[in-house]
Amino acid sequence: MHRRSPWLWAAALFSYAFLYLPLAIVVVYSFNDSRLNAEWVGFTLDWYRKLFADNDMIAAAGNSLLIGVTASLASTVLGTMAGVAMHRYRLRVLPILVLAPIAIPEILTGVSLLIFFVLLNFTLGLVSVALAHIAFCIGFVAIVVRARLAGMDETLTEAARDCGASPANAFRHVTLPLIMPGVIAGALMAFTLSIDDFVITFFTAGAGTVTLPLQIYSMIKISVTPEVNAVSTLLMLLTLLLIVAAARLSPSILRSNQDN
Amino acid sequence: MNIRVLATLVAATVAFAAPVHAKDELHLYNWNNYIAPETIKRFEAACHCEVVQTYYSDNDELLAKLAAGAKGYDVMVPTSNAVQTLIRGGQLKRIDKTAIPNIKNIDPAYLNTQFDPGNQYSVPYAMSTTIIGYNDVKMKELGLPTDTWAVIFDPKYLQKVKGRVTVLDSANELFAAALKYLGYSANDVDPKHWNEAADVIKKAKPYWAAFNASSYIKELTVGNIWLVHGYSNDIFQANQDAQAAHRPFHILQGMPKEGAVLAVDNMVIHKDAPRPDLALRFINFMLEGRNSADLTNLIGSGNPNTDAIKYIKPEILKLPAVFPPKDVQAKLEQLKDLTIKERRLRNQLWTEIKAAR
Repeated sequence: MHRRSPWLWAAALFSYAFLYLPLAIVVVYSFNDSRLNAEWVGFTLDWYRKLFADNDMIAAAGNSLLIGVTASLASTVLGTMAGVAMHRYRLRVLPILVLAPIAIPEILTGVSLLIFFVLLNFTLGLVSVALAHIAFCIGFVAIVVRARLAGMDETLTEAARDCGASPANAFRHVTLPLIMPGVIAGALMAFTLSIDDFVITFFTAGAGTVTLPLQIYSMIKISVTPEVNAVSTLLMLLTLLLIVAAARLSPSILRSNQDN
Repeated sequence: MNIRVLATLVAATVAFAAPVHAKDELHLYNWNNYIAPETIKRFEAACHCEVVQTYYSDNDELLAKLAAGAKGYDVMVPTSNAVQTLIRGGQLKRIDKTAIPNIKNIDPAYLNTQFDPGNQYSVPYAMSTTIIGYNDVKMKELGLPTDTWAVIFDPKYLQKVKGRVTVLDSANELFAAALKYLGYSANDVDPKHWNEAADVIKKAKPYWAAFNASSYIKELTVGNIWLVHGYSNDIFQANQDAQAAHRPFHILQGMPKEGAVLAVDNMVIHKDAPRPDLALRFINFMLEGRNSADLTNLIGSGNPNTDAIKYIKPEILKLPAVFPPKDVQAKLEQLKDLTIKERRLRNQLWTEIKAAR
């Protein structure tokens, strides 16, 4: 077996510590019996109890999940279609149209969407936030799907067509299964982006619409309590479950390219 | 995966998520934790309606959102200078005084200010002051005064607490404190005086641990920081935390004799308020002493409502920032907005201060 250099191990260890230590601290302090995220006092489940009794926080988490699921489902469908179109038709304007929202600063997207909704006399609320999220997630899904398509063997679709499959059937039974890992990765990415977006959500949310990031941010002024750690821990757990489930459903999804 | 099924699902979710506005709801756009839960319950019982809150953490957030045309809010609670901006922008609805008889409970010292002459659009809700917060044990040990800005700015005192002091990371607040220390008004706009203030700040800076606006509550409670320039509500919170954690010290409020910055938050009604009737009822309700006192008991906020005194816990009533005594009150100033030219100069001085070693 090939031996890896100790430097590589050290670098890897350092990188992973850098990525995961802050998360571990958040989790640990969610069980801390003190209002301060400063020193360990003792183990408690009080913050979780408080969290489940805190209607504001629960409603915010519920809204975030609802918007996240809606936005990721819709943007995955639309983003996949955009990705396929960008791959198939070499139109110059298409990538610009689809990908521009990624490059535009969030604050601009947020303000212009707000002005747009106001112009249409559209009541701001969960729907406006979900629409805004779908709009900025599409580009990300499209990029992932297009990258996947670029690595796909085009002859497979052609073979299906030769064997008499209609374009729709060839797409559904050959292309889609092949790019599925990209589609699922795009969906997960859209979900994550939606769930932690602050700027765009801030502008497009209406009276009474609170999402988790909005709720947590508004608490900063009065110092963040470990209740926030508790809700973050639960959210991390959910994300972890999602990734595990996705990996179970499609074992190749977490690999960047199919090597078999 | 069947795309048609997905699409149906999305449509169903969106339809399900559409807001229902059948109920009597009051939409309150407020700072987080800025109304006691029991007060909300009491109001909901009295008006047979539901209070729906949305939060902001900075006046600028509120101004930006409303400037872009967002609506749906009934009552909002901006600080005085933001009220002025909103009035100029035509964002507010005039308040019918006959509908809010309880305005008589408000100390006249907080009414009819330059921000809203005659209180046509706004009514004081609660307030905070920017003062000195300190660790009582340490300050006694070191024999330092706690009733003067000198302790924050004069190297004679600072050398004893080097590295244990933080000041707010806010140009406006820090300049106001330095101007007050020099004997000027917090709203002084004379460039000569600003330069003097900048010099005072630069001389004191080497002794400060940090410009800190977010975690000084924690630092005070833990005992790392002994002296701060901070908001009265935060200093109150720091002491609550310190007592809950059984620390061997208290975090006390020091009201500087030179005077300090006062920030009054006011209830206003949005011009497109869906329920102006409920908004007026809410404002009148919040002007009752008992309801106003709930908030002070919860977060130690300053209270402009004289009728609230009898409902406030005695230990909170003692705090100088909650009901400032008359002589102190006269030295408190609300900050005015700067003109663009003034702001440019202040930013320039602030950058120099931040860069100074």
